[in-house]
Amino acid sequence: MKNSMKNIHGILQILLALVMGATLYGQGRAALDIDISGYWTPALHEDGLERGGGPEIADYGGFTLNDAGRLWALSYDPSRLTLRHHQCDAYVMPYQMRAVGNFRFWEERDPHTQQLVAVDIWAQTTEGHRVIWMDGRPHPPAWAPRSFTGFSTGQFVGNALVIYTTHLKQGWLRRNGSPESDQATVMEFIVRHGDHLTDTTVVTDPVFLSEPEVRSNDYVRQPGDHHTWLYACDDGEQISGRAPDAVPNYPFGKQPFAREYAERYKLPLVASLSGAESIYPGFAAKAKNATEADFLAKLQPAPNRPPETSKAADPEPHDGEIHVLPVRENVYVLVGDGGNIVVQTGDQGAFVVDSGAGMLSDKVIEAIRKLSPKPIQFIANTSARAEHVGGNAKLGAAGSDPSLPGSFFDLQAPGAATGHLSDPAHHATLIAQNNVVIRLEAAKAPADMIPADTYLEERRRKFHNGELIELFYEPNAVTDGDSIVHFRRSDVIAAGDVFNTTQYPFIDLKNGGSVQGEIKALNHILDRTGYEHEEQGGTYIVPGHGYLSDEHEVVEYRDMVVIIRDRVQAMIKAGATLEQVKAAGVTADYDTRYGANSGPWTTAMFVEAVYNSLKQPPAKTEAK
Amino acid sequence: MIDITGYWVSLVTEDWRYRQFTPPKGDYTSVPIGPAGKKVADAWDPAKDEAAGEQCKAYGAAGLMRMPTRLRITWQDDNTLKLETDAGTQTRIFGFGPPQGAGGDWQGVSSASWDSPRAPINTFFGGLDFGFTPPPPPGGSLKVVTTKLRPGYLRKNGVPYGAGTVLTEYFDRFDLPGADALLLVISEVNDPEYLAQPFWTSTHFKKQNDASGWNPTPCTSR
Repeated sequence: MKNSMKNIHGILQILLALVMGATLYGQGRAALDIDISGYWTPALHEDGLERGGGPEIADYGGFTLNDAGRLWALSYDPSRLTLRHHQCDAYVMPYQMRAVGNFRFWEERDPHTQQLVAVDIWAQTTEGHRVIWMDGRPHPPAWAPRSFTGFSTGQFVGNALVIYTTHLKQGWLRRNGSPESDQATVMEFIVRHGDHLTDTTVVTDPVFLSEPEVRSNDYVRQPGDHHTWLYACDDGEQISGRAPDAVPNYPFGKQPFAREYAERYKLPLVASLSGAESIYPGFAAKAKNATEADFLAKLQPAPNRPPETSKAADPEPHDGEIHVLPVRENVYVLVGDGGNIVVQTGDQGAFVVDSGAGMLSDKVIEAIRKLSPKPIQFIANTSARAEHVGGNAKLGAAGSDPSLPGSFFDLQAPGAATGHLSDPAHHATLIAQNNVVIRLEAAKAPADMIPADTYLEERRRKFHNGELIELFYEPNAVTDGDSIVHFRRSDVIAAGDVFNTTQYPFIDLKNGGSVQGEIKALNHILDRTGYEHEEQGGTYIVPGHGYLSDEHEVVEYRDMVVIIRDRVQAMIKAGATLEQVKAAGVTADYDTRYGANSGPWTTAMFVEAVYNSLKQPPAKTEAK
Repeated sequence: MIDITGYWVSLVTEDWRYRQFTPPKGDYTSVPIGPAGKKVADAWDPAKDEAAGEQCKAYGAAGLMRMPTRLRITWQDDNTLKLETDAGTQTRIFGFGPPQGAGGDWQGVSSASWDSPRAPINTFFGGLDFGFTPPPPPGGSLKVVTTKLRPGYLRKNGVPYGAGTVLTEYFDRFDLPGADALLLVISEVNDPEYLAQPFWTSTHFKKQNDASGWNPTPCTSR
């Protein structure tokens, strides 16, 4: 009996080995290398104080921050977190991986082939959910939305899981304002040694870092689930009565806690502000020789230095093609013809917001027809700017408005109506705030690109394809004729040039723009948005130019405009001239993200527009 | 087998204040120090160390890799890796095979091996293999276990480790785009005398093409 049991046991062992071996071979290397599934807790034996209790202001030592990054951090006031739209900011990768909470890692496998499709990571703190695609899929295009955890792909190399992450939101390297931009990418190397996991992250950020930032996080395996995976956050009123255009920040050179960290720990004042050189051997000796003047110089932009230019990747394709990005439900963004075009499809025909620059209109029409066989019925223009109305005539001619034939428009004598209304059945209806018409007529635009369906104040409504679509007038924002368009059911807002992700706002003073109106318009967008989870998702915002966004990008953009406005305003109050404001580098911490020294909209032009609109605010826009 | 030879430079991006500068006495934040360890750390006196000729207490194996330093790693012979630092002008010897030497100095006795990220499959089946055990994947880590250390400091401000310390390290090399490479040194310090639990750190170095910046300096205690 003992022998027969032994034999059975032996046979089972052989069968099990055969099955296991065959299965492992079938799965390929990915399954053989490392298994990081399970529950992990970070070992906070490095940077424990700042990762746990929290960092101190001006503790930027060990960070490769460039001048823009350091100035951005020094301008940061932690009270910014009391603003409604920052209260639930999630941790951005890779700071997420340094969080104090627990982590769960698991695999996703194809049920039929058992191939590894993805490795998922759930972080307890801010409920960060990462999906690391292991199936070789490409990263999304540059115009796709960002998230706090980004888009990650991975592969096993040697004994490491190597991960590459793009499409990150702006966040922080450390929660004392040390910034990480939305242009950052991250390479990671995860290795496991027994019950010890180490994740090495290499952040490359052309906007705020002068060289890659390398850090590593250690985790200890836990035996089981501790059942605490949620991170509840809802925003609320934390400081009542605050003005809607208030964004806590410190002027350059006025960070009140700039000395505190160094003085508390008896470090050279300049040490933690020294960027990349602070991470190398020999730094301590060098820092000890730094003077008070060296320290003070770190607190503000270098005098008379020409503005930096944007290091951000261009999110637009420029390949002569139109690219379609589904947004939500029946709403799409068409990218490629200058400004972004939004298309809502349905049984009633397409509702289009903006018509692009008109260089690729035929391809735009073709792309819309692929989305819906129905004609374009409405085209709303968010402003009179060329990249938004350039395709009006062609797109309009390719559409028709079946709501007009049979109406009183048919009774008009030929020629009595202007533009396409002279032939209502064979042209889409163009809609815009009335000042768009005035600006286009002043520019002697052809009649068939001038909107005929206009509104004057507040809003214009359409119920189309089963959805309420609202156009809101944003007076004196980038022009005096701006609209934002809110698709209510889909919860998508086409923001036009009120918001973009590519440059400083094009505040067109000659056409009625102003920095005050721009801030008001951005805040109006934020009044209408909601996030799905931890300040991301929810309402989508299509910028006039740039990548599909949510409210987080609008908030960061609003903050930027307000902060620069505050700096210019303070200098005006102190009697500064325009040239003095320009020389002061009031945009120094944002230029590597949005700046330009050439082209149609330079940093100098933006600063001048801010200055002049503060010096001579536009008269309250009267509906014309 | 990974190649970790060549010159490497520390990237002091974590525990920056404790590593680039000597922290104040009694600042043992993040170190899982026990009561006996605190007592020693609170009594730290660098002048006393200097007088005793023990300026290198923070340059022992358990603290050395946390120093801002450059490394020069070479094969001393077929079975021995040599790791030199310019900070404190220290040399560590990683011998493959059984530990050799009496130790008792700052760098102790180190035993090296190539570490596969997984156990061989056949260990789960009573030694049965049937040819199905896959070969180890390429790569792997260099594992170094160091014992017989002279007592020293985990940090320059006198946070101690004792003679019974066992230091286990894994050296991993990661290649980056553009021919750059990183060396990651994962370290677990087990010290039953002064630590309440193992002390884990992971320290990274960037590959250098040559010896530029190599600047041997003596140990300092402050």
